[in-house]
Amino acid sequence: MKKRQFVAILMVGAMACSVLTACGDSSSQNQDSQSTSGSSDAQKADQPSTTGEDKAADSGGTAQEGTQELSVTTWDNESSPQFQAIVDAYEEKNPNVKIKIIDTSADEYNNSLGISLSAAQPDPDVIWVKDMGSMLQMADKEQLLPIDDFIARDSLDLSIYKGAAEQLMYNDKSYALPYRNDWYVLYYNKDLFDAAGVEYPSNDMTWAEYYELAEKMTSGEGSSKVYGSHNHTWQALVTNWAVQDGDHTVVEKDYSFMKPWYEECLALQDGGYIQDYSTLKTANIHYSSVFKNQQCAMMPMGTWFIATMMQSQEEGETDFNWGIATIPHPENTETGYTVGALTPIAISAYTDQPDLAWDFVKFASSEEAAEILAAQGVFTGIPSETALQTIASAERFPEGESNVEALNYTHYSFDRPLDPQIEEIRTVLNEVHEMILIHAYDVDEGIAELTERVAEIKGW
Amino acid sequence: MSNEKKGLLTSGQKRKIRRNITGYAFILPNLIGYSIFVFVPVIFSFVLSVMSWDGSKKPMEFVGLANFAEIFGDKVFRGTLVHTISYAVMTVVPTLILALLLAVLLNNKIKGVAIFRTAFYFPYIASIVAVGAVWNMLFQPDFGPVNQILKFIGISDPPRWVVDKDWAMVAVSIVSVWKYMGYYMIVYLAALQGISSSLYEAASIDGANGWQKLWSITVPMLTPTTFFVMIMLTIQCFKVFDLVYVMTGGGPGNATKTLVNYIYEKAFTSWEFGPASAGAIVLFAIVLVITLIQFSGEKKWFKDL
Repeated sequence: MKKRQFVAILMVGAMACSVLTACGDSSSQNQDSQSTSGSSDAQKADQPSTTGEDKAADSGGTAQEGTQELSVTTWDNESSPQFQAIVDAYEEKNPNVKIKIIDTSADEYNNSLGISLSAAQPDPDVIWVKDMGSMLQMADKEQLLPIDDFIARDSLDLSIYKGAAEQLMYNDKSYALPYRNDWYVLYYNKDLFDAAGVEYPSNDMTWAEYYELAEKMTSGEGSSKVYGSHNHTWQALVTNWAVQDGDHTVVEKDYSFMKPWYEECLALQDGGYIQDYSTLKTANIHYSSVFKNQQCAMMPMGTWFIATMMQSQEEGETDFNWGIATIPHPENTETGYTVGALTPIAISAYTDQPDLAWDFVKFASSEEAAEILAAQGVFTGIPSETALQTIASAERFPEGESNVEALNYTHYSFDRPLDPQIEEIRTVLNEVHEMILIHAYDVDEGIAELTERVAEIKGW
Repeated sequence: MSNEKKGLLTSGQKRKIRRNITGYAFILPNLIGYSIFVFVPVIFSFVLSVMSWDGSKKPMEFVGLANFAEIFGDKVFRGTLVHTISYAVMTVVPTLILALLLAVLLNNKIKGVAIFRTAFYFPYIASIVAVGAVWNMLFQPDFGPVNQILKFIGISDPPRWVVDKDWAMVAVSIVSVWKYMGYYMIVYLAALQGISSSLYEAASIDGANGWQKLWSITVPMLTPTTFFVMIMLTIQCFKVFDLVYVMTGGGPGNATKTLVNYIYEKAFTSWEFGPASAGAIVLFAIVLVITLIQFSGEKKWFKDL
């Protein structure tokens, strides 16, 4: 009798254990599939440790072999060389350090990162911050390690960033160094312009001239239609031009300054010179495929797209001639006014190896790293003539002096201000943007709702 | 005698405890999983609903009912209640009727009945992400097949579906009906097997036709099942998240934002767990009321039977 009960309890216990371990397994598998979705080099991100025990086992094991492990978070790692190039370079310089990449798709990156930071685990150590809004959110939640002490200790010269490092400061503290710097330029398809016998977009164009050009370059019907230009579904592709002159930001008490920009965008869309917003939204069309498939003659997009295009040409995915022009400017400014954003790199407040993490951050935002990235067509937080020359002399960079000229700017506005509630405000901006572009609101209704809802969030 | 004095418990009591331990041990695996992944989080969200917390290590702050005041003062939240209810109405009634009709049709001995049953059940097991993506293409306003057909049959200005604020919820509901009617068809099929054939035979002798049999025998006999299906469907509708997230992302604007989408956004975009949990408590209250209605209904039907 007793024996049988004992056996029963033992078996039940075993079952309980198996259930629990099964749960653990499946959750780590989830993490795997998330982190390596579509990535070919799955090996590197194969084992993101999800539990404390895993972690302990890891560090125990690595300590024995004398190597250290550092985990970093990235997004869409396979689609651009921007992270991998730096990780490889760092590993080469520090053979005793193994970098573990935790990769997530760009859309889910902030959510996934936020949740893993809520768990206050020692992983990840280093965080590539996707946008400045989420940096402020994390800083507010004390999830980022202030790096002022490190900067002071190593007497790091911040002047190489030409003010960008200071712009990243929040409440008088530094939480991150600038890693990438991206701003908007105008991409165009040289072959389509040649075929139409139209001159390439110049580096000094007003938006009105750009609209005319878009109209001129639109041709064909149905599936073979070529659009004059292309606006992706982001709200930024309208609001950026409204803040380009530096007189406004996207957090304002009165949004009437956006009215002409929405009217112009609707005019382009309704005239059939850019693809309809609803089509892009329902079919979930990525802007890069539109440009790569030569369905548009021009496209305003960030400088990050240079690396994407170079990679695409390199891999033989596309072989048409393309070019870069300065982003068109409003009537009230001269050419060279652009809009952009910084990609910061920061350290998690919960890291168990702050010194190593700092070493990586310092390397990733150094001039040496800037050179490596420039060769890949990536602009860093260190603006320099040499980096520009490196990019311009890269094999797949479009030929012609005007393309290099196009990369210069004289005035730079952030696409969003450093406001701790910016992510919440962007939700409103996106919703209203969508309503205006599908004609559910007219422009005035949209502006009114924006003004009202943002005031509510800000408590005005 | 001396044996009994040794222990504090009698052998009967000991046996009872032992038996209980065995019982608890058997439910332990499930209980542990349930506690960790359901019970503790549920209690936690009750606590969170009266707290202010951003998901970080910073301490929570007790704010009382301020979170509830905040969400009920939020136009977007009130909107989500309306959207969720309209989704429930547009989904529950058609699903009920179609599931019942399908079940009655497929309860006949027709050729290939198994194939038809499988075909109608199939959407239920398909991945919701794939279903959402494919239906989005079907609903594409300019060259999607749905609107092509509508134009072909003479509707010159068909709705723009997921990019039309008035039709987006209808589109989501159509997909939902399509996906779930097969499952409830099976539930109805099971119930149909339970109706005694003598009732139909008697009706035939009295000269009733098919419709009269359906209306006067099948439907009344299925009332307890219909009630059950309705309750299950309603609860399911209030919990909808994935289909909306995949198909419209709550848009256009926030025309299809449902209660759970709102909770998700508050929690994981704004990192305001207090108002998010308050929203979850509201959802809990709604589902609780529906469930209580079901309990009382169940008592009634079973007494009648």
